Amino acid sequence: MSSHNESILREPLITGKDITYAKITDDILLPVENKPNRAWWIGFILAALGALLWVFSVGYTFWTGIGAWGLNKTVGWAWDITDFVWWVGIGHAGTLISAVLLIFRQNWRNSINRSAEAMTIFAVICAATYVVAHMGRPWLAYWIFPLPNQFGSLWVNFNSPLVWDAFAISTYFTVSLVFWYCGLLPDIASVRDRAAGLKRRIYSIMSFGWNGSVKTWQRFEIVSLILAGISTPLVLSVHTIVSMDFATSVIPGWHTTIFPPYFVAGAIFSGFAMVQTLLLVMRKVMNFENYITMFHIESMNKIIMATGSIVGIAYLTELFIAWYSGSEYEMYAFANRIAGPYWWAYWTMMTCNVISPQLFWFKKIRTSIPISWVLSIVVNIGMWFERFVIIVTSLHRDYLPSSWAMFYPTWTDVGVFVGSVGLFFTMFLLFIRFLPGIAIAEVKLLLKSASLQQKSKLIKEGHLDKGQVEFFTNSLTKFDSVTEEEIKELETK
Amino acid sequence: MDSNKKYWKGLEELQQTPAFVEKSKGEFSESIPVEDVLSEAGLSTRTPRRDFLKALGFGLGAVTLAACERTPAHKAIPYLIKPEEITPGVPNFYASSFKGQSVLVRTREGRPILLEANPSAVGLNCGTDASAQASILDLYDTSKLKAPKFKGADISWDELDTHVVTALDAAKAAGKQIRIVSSTINSPSTIAAIARFTEKYPTARLVEVEAVSYSGILKANQNSFGKSVVPYYRFDNADVIVSVAADFLGTWLSGEEHTQQYISNRDYKSLQKGKMSRHIQFEGGMSLTGTNADVRVAIKPSEEGPLLIALYNAITGSNLPGALSSNQKAQTALKLVAQELQQARGRAVVVAGSNEVAIQTLTNAINVALQSYGSTIDLDNPSYQYKGDDEAFASFLAEANRGDVDVAFFWESNPLYNYPNQEAVKAALSKIKFKLSFSDREDETASELDAIAPNHNFLESWGDAHPRGGYYTIVQPTINPVYNTRQVEHSLLLWAGEKTDYYTFVKNNWEQQLLVGSSKTWKDVLQTGFEYKGDQPATTYSFDFSTLGAVANTLASHSKALAKDVEVQLYQSIALKDGKQGNNAYLHELPDPVSKVTWDNYAALNPKFAESLGLGENSLVEVADDSGYKVTLPVLMQPGQAMGTVSIALGYGRTKVGKAGNNVGKNAYPFVKLVNGTLQFNTTAKLTKASGNYELAQTQTHHTIEGRNIIRETSFAKYKENPGHNAGSWTDSHKTYDLWNKYEQPGHKWVMAIDLNACTGCGSCIVACNVENNIPVVGRDEVRRRREMHWMRIDRYYAIEQGGESFTEEDEIRHLDDMENVSVVHQPMMCQHCEHAPCETVCPVLATVHSSEGLNHMAYNRCFGTRYCANNCPYKVRRFNWFNYWNDSRFDNYLNNEFTQLVLNPDVVSRSRGVMEKCSMCIQRIQAGKLKAKIEKRTLKDGDIKLACSSACSANAIIFGDANDPNSEVSKALKNERVYYVLEEINVQPGIGYMTKVRNTYEA
Repeated sequence: MSSHNESILREPLITGKDITYAKITDDILLPVENKPNRAWWIGFILAALGALLWVFSVGYTFWTGIGAWGLNKTVGWAWDITDFVWWVGIGHAGTLISAVLLIFRQNWRNSINRSAEAMTIFAVICAATYVVAHMGRPWLAYWIFPLPNQFGSLWVNFNSPLVWDAFAISTYFTVSLVFWYCGLLPDIASVRDRAAGLKRRIYSIMSFGWNGSVKTWQRFEIVSLILAGISTPLVLSVHTIVSMDFATSVIPGWHTTIFPPYFVAGAIFSGFAMVQTLLLVMRKVMNFENYITMFHIESMNKIIMATGSIVGIAYLTELFIAWYSGSEYEMYAFANRIAGPYWWAYWTMMTCNVISPQLFWFKKIRTSIPISWVLSIVVNIGMWFERFVIIVTSLHRDYLPSSWAMFYPTWTDVGVFVGSVGLFFTMFLLFIRFLPGIAIAEVKLLLKSASLQQKSKLIKEGHLDKGQVEFFTNSLTKFDSVTEEEIKELETK
Repeated sequence: MDSNKKYWKGLEELQQTPAFVEKSKGEFSESIPVEDVLSEAGLSTRTPRRDFLKALGFGLGAVTLAACERTPAHKAIPYLIKPEEITPGVPNFYASSFKGQSVLVRTREGRPILLEANPSAVGLNCGTDASAQASILDLYDTSKLKAPKFKGADISWDELDTHVVTALDAAKAAGKQIRIVSSTINSPSTIAAIARFTEKYPTARLVEVEAVSYSGILKANQNSFGKSVVPYYRFDNADVIVSVAADFLGTWLSGEEHTQQYISNRDYKSLQKGKMSRHIQFEGGMSLTGTNADVRVAIKPSEEGPLLIALYNAITGSNLPGALSSNQKAQTALKLVAQELQQARGRAVVVAGSNEVAIQTLTNAINVALQSYGSTIDLDNPSYQYKGDDEAFASFLAEANRGDVDVAFFWESNPLYNYPNQEAVKAALSKIKFKLSFSDREDETASELDAIAPNHNFLESWGDAHPRGGYYTIVQPTINPVYNTRQVEHSLLLWAGEKTDYYTFVKNNWEQQLLVGSSKTWKDVLQTGFEYKGDQPATTYSFDFSTLGAVANTLASHSKALAKDVEVQLYQSIALKDGKQGNNAYLHELPDPVSKVTWDNYAALNPKFAESLGLGENSLVEVADDSGYKVTLPVLMQPGQAMGTVSIALGYGRTKVGKAGNNVGKNAYPFVKLVNGTLQFNTTAKLTKASGNYELAQTQTHHTIEGRNIIRETSFAKYKENPGHNAGSWTDSHKTYDLWNKYEQPGHKWVMAIDLNACTGCGSCIVACNVENNIPVVGRDEVRRRREMHWMRIDRYYAIEQGGESFTEEDEIRHLDDMENVSVVHQPMMCQHCEHAPCETVCPVLATVHSSEGLNHMAYNRCFGTRYCANNCPYKVRRFNWFNYWNDSRFDNYLNNEFTQLVLNPDVVSRSRGVMEKCSMCIQRIQAGKLKAKIEKRTLKDGDIKLACSSACSANAIIFGDANDPNSEVSKALKNERVYYVLEEINVQPGIGYMTKVRNTYEA
């Protein structure tokens, strides 16, 4: 997080006039320290209604049994596991941004990591609800863990991918939560220092006694790096293991070795799309435009485009391998995806995931905020359908045609899904209301004053190409991040 | 040894310092401030000792009271004085019979819980069909009457008797007629009881009537041979079987018995001897028998007569007019068939399903010409299962209309539901002064009568049966009457003034009549369940062929009348038959063997014909005949159905049968016509598209194998060249690799062999499995959602034949223009108990594991319901408890009711919601068999353990046993060249071997 030598060709990561450390704190803590505005209330009420729907749908399912859903003897998983994988996938961007980009010293992540991590945690919570809710006897969910017990010391089945899954998801959740909370400590301390009364006491407890000493900061840096190191493999492992829920089975369309990389790419793809969906709204509503800039938007769009292409290649590879395998069941499974009764799901997936991200090759589209926002939602629709296609169209017509069946969702299926979206937004909206939505401490590192000095020094030394210097000076005006005097000061030198 | 060592605890003790000595005087090193507590804070505080004690007392009391709430304990009371023959946990078997089928009733702690075919009745074993298996549930039916009724109110038996005797005496005094209207009675004791009743009331007479009658056969035989009987068919003696619309493996006469005979020339044992019969079926609707035929030709009902004329002409070389001139396919087939029949003279049989006297007479003529009598048809030891006479009932109605009948008893007879002319019945009933029903429930007829004297269930009754010449079976009760009911014979005897109870009456009847000259005693009969007196020798029968001219004329005019509109074929479904067991949830949920529809009847139409009428899947169609009766039925696309015809099942649409069966389907009986004194089940009607949609609840919605090798077929000709044709093991040609450890299975290895050539698809195994394993019945809506719970199913696949090719892929079939030529295969499918079970590896909590005996176990208590195992099962045989079926009022079929729960098998737990279940290979039976052998200190023998499905299978299509025993039947069967394993190539190593389907088709 420390600043480092930066090319003068880089655009500044924070824009805006008269940005000072104090202003950053003021700007970011504005929603935390003031009464929420109307936009927040509208969003919150809608989200809370969704969460209520979730409570009702899940409650009804628990009360009557899984029969409340549209599943049948042939299709034993449908919307439940589709939603589960979808949410876990969405949860991937957070860790990628906070851990992998940290290790790669991608400083631009500092503006978005906090929200992305929060999103990860909430998405994983949503995903975890399905793990429990889809069980026939959810009150026994703890059996998934190898706990000492009185059932004649029954152990879990370590061969089962569902056990791996339980470990993977719980580890991921724990690490993400710790990482997120550690990052929050200095910011909570900032809130604490500015608050009074009860609020101060609460934030004081939450800040774990952060005092801002050099030693604290040093430890903070070390912990961040260690956690980043731990999290990085998780980015790959979690969705790899989720994909093994399918890949280790014998069902045509599931039994595929390509699944781990394909799922990881898909997860990052959908995760970044969700970050994009959230931040584009958040930067507008909460006036974070100076911190989440076009540079961020464009960078994320590029990642979406890259991962979307990987996913597209994976789809085509699957088709090729199905044909090349010569296995009639495998071939049928894919022919059925393309032209079977669920053809519309397959083609929705193809359009949303393969074709739509290719639009980002055009800079105009990549830098258009409305189009980016719409496409980010399209991508997540596509990713939902990807999981639906994998799960339902593979199951509904497998080996013996006598058992082929269709799956039709019930209101409970829809309620649980829509409700989980509501739950997610409820948690997210509460988060931005009570905790800083941008990592204050980390963003301060990006402030021009830190890099400007160093860049000015380079220019003064005079070894740089004239064109580059001109670009830099132009950019200062363009992004309006420095004062006139500062520009003049540069020119005179 | 005493030790004088002294251990010291510290230097102080060793040195005995003064401080130590001082302190060691007290028990505690520091004095406890007891005095302080008592004198100062202790008692003078605001909560003194008394308050503390009060609080303690209250607390204790409250906790005690709270603990006093009674937990919902279901008391289990042991026998105070244990009946000698009942040992809790050990079943008793009683020999009895169901409709003449000799059965063993398995009882537990005094409750009958299962019927099994009587295994000792070898050679005469009629087996148990689906309705026999399901009949156990009728015993515990809560829709039955709990007491006799008079004019709609409960009444005591004494009062009812007074009413009845008054009415009878009045009728007798007035010289008016008394009629007992009943379905077929072949019980010698019942006949004797009625004779006794007739002695007292001489005007009393028995009128036997069947809703679906065989009057046509009775009359034809009367005309042809002077014997009004239904012959006993011997399909086991037939090398060539031609059936014209007779569903002889299903509902025609005695399906189970015919199945056994038929299969004896077609199963693996027969094939190994190089023998297989040929079966040609001509029919309109796709029947169970039609699906098993080697050659099936679709004909319209109106073509049945002309076809038989043509067949007769071809066989005898005569020239009767009116031979088949339409239907090119049938004509071509006919030529081959006639040749074949002629070659097989004496080893052939022709049967016709029609109830038309002319058709049956012509069939008799053909059979005489083929010398079938004495070989494949036995008139000397006839069947007495169906004696119902349509004319007799019609004349009863006429009699009643004239006001001659004063008293009528209805027994197993429900004319207000199943007699075509309802108005005639109503009019006749209104003229009868005293009408009584023996029905066990207030059914359509009983509810309109003066009194109901509810009869016992057969499991509560004494009795006997005489299903065919020389063969007598016994009926003995296995439980005390569940409700306040009384056996009909008892009532009749009582009303006749006879004081002996019916048990003594039956016993005397046997000892004085049936057992005379036999070495057996009454006790022996009770133990064996039947008495076989041996067959009468065959006599020769002559036939007057000159009468056939008139027959041909009748046929021609009938055929013309039938061909008017759309031809309607009314048939009995395998599950519900004539509708008597209409409140049986097991039967309603048993999928039809052909259409796989549950909980409904429907209009079966050829898909191409339906298309031409503008009808599609889920359409509704209105069927209306010229009498003005019409019903709206859902359309079923039935490949193989003759064009221009519609098939509708009888036995549905009951309105007063009980909770499960009321208003299921539509009543088709009013379409039946009484023509020339017999009920005609072929008729003609107009079809119009009705508005709206209706989804039938089918357990299988994809009907072809899509070219997959899960079904392997061959022809008999190819089989003779190479018995292993098209079977073969995948592992022979491929190298397999194994990720798994190989485990020794030193004890037993339980496996099954399934002979696809023996399985007719009848579904009695499914019901047997349901009853044995307490499988929930989920109802129509849940079946629509594809959630039926059956542990085993019978997959039925169609292949459409056109231009000498067979099509099994949906995409190809869509483009075919002829859907009449269909070949069908039935494949029983249940848990395959794979050695490398995909379900086992994926269960996170080890709820499904492999046993050392090769079984795939399911530990319900450990399952928390992720359903991963079901998803990963390539055979899709796992069933999930979507709801709490035994405690959910939406599924009030039988499990939910405290009383009906008595039918449950106590050896099998009922499963809670959220738990996976599947075929366990009747593990409770395996355990019981092993235990029994252990107690008897012997090794287990092959055949000691029988599974519910295999023992219910009359065709012996399911063979179970120990593969580690090289001499077991299953080991031998699995060595058969025809054996293959379904989905062998995915190397899950299933434990159930299938034998190829062999068809004895004509080689082109």
